[in-house]
Amino acid sequence: MMNKFAVISVFLSVCLWVQAVYAGLFKAEEFTLQNGLHCVVIENHKAPLVKQIVWYKSGSVDEQKGKGGSAHLLEHLMFRGTKYAKDGEFNRVMEKYGVSDNAFTSHDVTGYYQFADVSKLEVLLAYEADRMANLNFDEKAFEAERKIVYQERMQRVENNPSSPFYERLNLILWGNNPYGQPVTGLPDEIMGLEYADVMEFYHKFYTPSNALLILSGDITAKEVRPLIEKYYGKIKSHKVIRKNHETAKQNMHEILEMSLPKVSSIKVYDKYMLPKHDELKNKIYDYMVLEEYLGGGSTSAMYKDLVLKQKKALSVGASYHFVTRGESVFSFNMIPQNPDEFEREGALELLQQSADEAMQNLSEEKLAQIKRKMSADLVFVNDNPQTAADWIGAMLAVGFTLDEAQSYEDNLNAVTLQGVKEAYAELKKAPRVSGVLLPLKHEKTDKGESK
Amino acid sequence: MSMYSPYRRGFGYYLKRIIFVSVLLALGFYAPDIMTYYNRLDSEKILAASTFKNKTFSTPVQEIKSSGMTAYLLEEHSVPIVSIDFKFGNAGVAHEDEEKQGLVRILSSLLIDGAGKYDAEAFKDTCEEYGIKIGFDYDNDDFSGYLYAPRKNLPKALEMLTAVLQKPRFDKEFMTLRKEQLKTAIKSKMENPEAVLAEKFSGFIFAGHPYSRKAMTVLKTLDNVSEDDLLKFMQTHLSRENLIISFAGDLTKKDVKDILKSPFAELPEKYAGEKMNRIELKLGGREKNVKYKSAQAISFFATNGTYREAEDYYPLYLANYIFGGSGLNSRISQIIREKEGLTYGIATYLQQNDAVALLTGSYSSTPDNFRKAQNLLLEQWQKMAQEGISDKELQQTKESLISSFNLRFASISGIASMLTGMQQYNLGRDFLEKRNDYIKAVTLDEVNAAAKKYFGTKPDFVNIDVKNKGE
Repeated sequence: MMNKFAVISVFLSVCLWVQAVYAGLFKAEEFTLQNGLHCVVIENHKAPLVKQIVWYKSGSVDEQKGKGGSAHLLEHLMFRGTKYAKDGEFNRVMEKYGVSDNAFTSHDVTGYYQFADVSKLEVLLAYEADRMANLNFDEKAFEAERKIVYQERMQRVENNPSSPFYERLNLILWGNNPYGQPVTGLPDEIMGLEYADVMEFYHKFYTPSNALLILSGDITAKEVRPLIEKYYGKIKSHKVIRKNHETAKQNMHEILEMSLPKVSSIKVYDKYMLPKHDELKNKIYDYMVLEEYLGGGSTSAMYKDLVLKQKKALSVGASYHFVTRGESVFSFNMIPQNPDEFEREGALELLQQSADEAMQNLSEEKLAQIKRKMSADLVFVNDNPQTAADWIGAMLAVGFTLDEAQSYEDNLNAVTLQGVKEAYAELKKAPRVSGVLLPLKHEKTDKGESK
Repeated sequence: MSMYSPYRRGFGYYLKRIIFVSVLLALGFYAPDIMTYYNRLDSEKILAASTFKNKTFSTPVQEIKSSGMTAYLLEEHSVPIVSIDFKFGNAGVAHEDEEKQGLVRILSSLLIDGAGKYDAEAFKDTCEEYGIKIGFDYDNDDFSGYLYAPRKNLPKALEMLTAVLQKPRFDKEFMTLRKEQLKTAIKSKMENPEAVLAEKFSGFIFAGHPYSRKAMTVLKTLDNVSEDDLLKFMQTHLSRENLIISFAGDLTKKDVKDILKSPFAELPEKYAGEKMNRIELKLGGREKNVKYKSAQAISFFATNGTYREAEDYYPLYLANYIFGGSGLNSRISQIIREKEGLTYGIATYLQQNDAVALLTGSYSSTPDNFRKAQNLLLEQWQKMAQEGISDKELQQTKESLISSFNLRFASISGIASMLTGMQQYNLGRDFLEKRNDYIKAVTLDEVNAAAKKYFGTKPDFVNIDVKNKGE
């Protein structure tokens, strides 16, 4: 019976819509299969290579409360067997065909990728499609893999003496929102995860309508589309319902100060929570320009001011994280130049003053230069075929459209001086969390005074 | 249950199968061979039916000689990007004066803090506006540099690179700043237990040799480094004689000739430093435990390896690949990670240094697992020496290494640095055409002889052993 349905679905696997968009940054084309699988094919014919990435638009924020780490553990277990490929076969096949492959989990997404000789493309499609629908690992593999992710957490987080600070800072910024929890889960949570927790996540979120398939390399959409249909087209889809999370508290400014053993230098962070990219629309480009202007490397305004002119910092920078379904976050960071003279309030004020002053000096001419700099690097995105796959995939997986990824340069060029200034004014009104990480001995030199 | 199984082919094929299976079932036959085929993925069948066939990447590497220099070029005009990768041999950290440790590290950052008529700000602004990437890097042995730029901005990029190599500025302000930044960066790096152990490891393995130098020493010696020292080091260590240079991307032979003429022909003709001699290390069987507080115990281990040009390089390369070099499929990953879950990662590598070649590796795990993992590792180590590998393993590994060959052509900058590696190890201009044949030619006996020789002694271990009292 089952088989007959599958046969019929071959005929039904026609696409809903096609859009060829070759104008823009990439030579990319998108289409959606009838089961909802969104596909993007990017051409790069430099070498006979192809990259496949499947992005599931779910990550650690979609976990059940208290089940921290289940999205990540599932990512590991996706390598441990399906109904049609036993534990170990996936890795063996990839190895045999010289495929470079791995996977990743973030708050928003879980991704699986392979980079290979283009002659191996159908094997990549078959095995990735298989684990989209047929995951089936045994208890032994589950137990081993849970231990492995526990060891991963120990190696990546617990071995790093600064980790408690960063995890705490993130928690304060996000409050009850799951973006405040570490993607790995906490050690106790990891060891408390059960087989059913992971399978629940899989059945809920691993479905064509919640996935994005990117193929990039020595291929054309015309060539690969029938193959994508062949391997992914028959997978049944269901609707994914995503919880809406509580947004951050308004009008807050909390400060975290933490002294930790083995930490060697003082680090200062100032983080502002801004609206989500789909609310900000093209205003994200104002913030990108702001990031570049204020703290994008050693030619930025604040670096010139605080590091080179005032000599009060050894480094200073800004970063804007907007490729997420959650609120976007604008951050400043600084390492002060004279640890002995460090004073928290003064340091935070210094960052603000420097940014304020830089904003007063921002001219049309300067803005034009920033845009030139940001555009100058775009030629490199078409060197390695993996770059385009990563870039487009990361954006589309959190709700951007291909058109937005393609028109990056136009959107950037449309940024006005007024827009950047308004963006900065909004930033100053945003919920804010500051953090100061200190070496433990710094406390002692302060004669035990705890701040 | 899912509707999907990926071995399916076209409609006609499928229909015939259904009819056939239905008939068999209807007749009450049990047809295990067909059912087995139906219930598993078969990568070989998928591949055999695939429309995508092997394509060879055309890789003519050109050799260009000029003013005593030899350059490799791989033209690739599909992307308007150029990449230049160059390396000065015997000019790395181990070649610094003992009292001036840190020189090479700050040279790598100060070289791009302005040059010629450009002060630091103008230099970096100009590079960023033109999309020009110029940078320097180092390791124990070598000092290396790169230029990566859009083709249309090549003239500007060369103007900047010429200034860097010929008219470095070393402005006082930046000397002070980069020194302070470097000290902070070293201290930050040493917060990481792996970095601490890496130093203990090289201190133990290379005792007395410049490779054993510690980053923390730089905190004391860095202030001894003057502008004159930097200029002198450039004169003595960055010369045409010890230069290896490669080009890839949207360039022609004529472009390369011009670039060699200026700026590179203007470098000093002769290398006036001291070349690193090869040393004999007697490694194996020792263990040193370091007391250090961290969540996991960590282990670095090593024994003697073989040099890139040696007869038994490929045999040992394959043996190591199977033992610990192939990621999750390696023997030790399979047993220690995949089966037992004792560690997030364990791997071994063949390390090439000018003075010594090593077979080395590392892993970390919580204290309760640490010795169990080590015992399993040693068990496999001994098995490798005694039993070697099977012919099946050899064939699979060859297939894998040949299949992954084209991945090295993914990016223009990657191609340029690969060409540098080919020159560094004297692999020959035709290496890319011959490489797969080198792999194919390796015999089972050769691999097992190498396994017996290099896995024959237990490695030296240096551990952060959280439970152990340590030194």
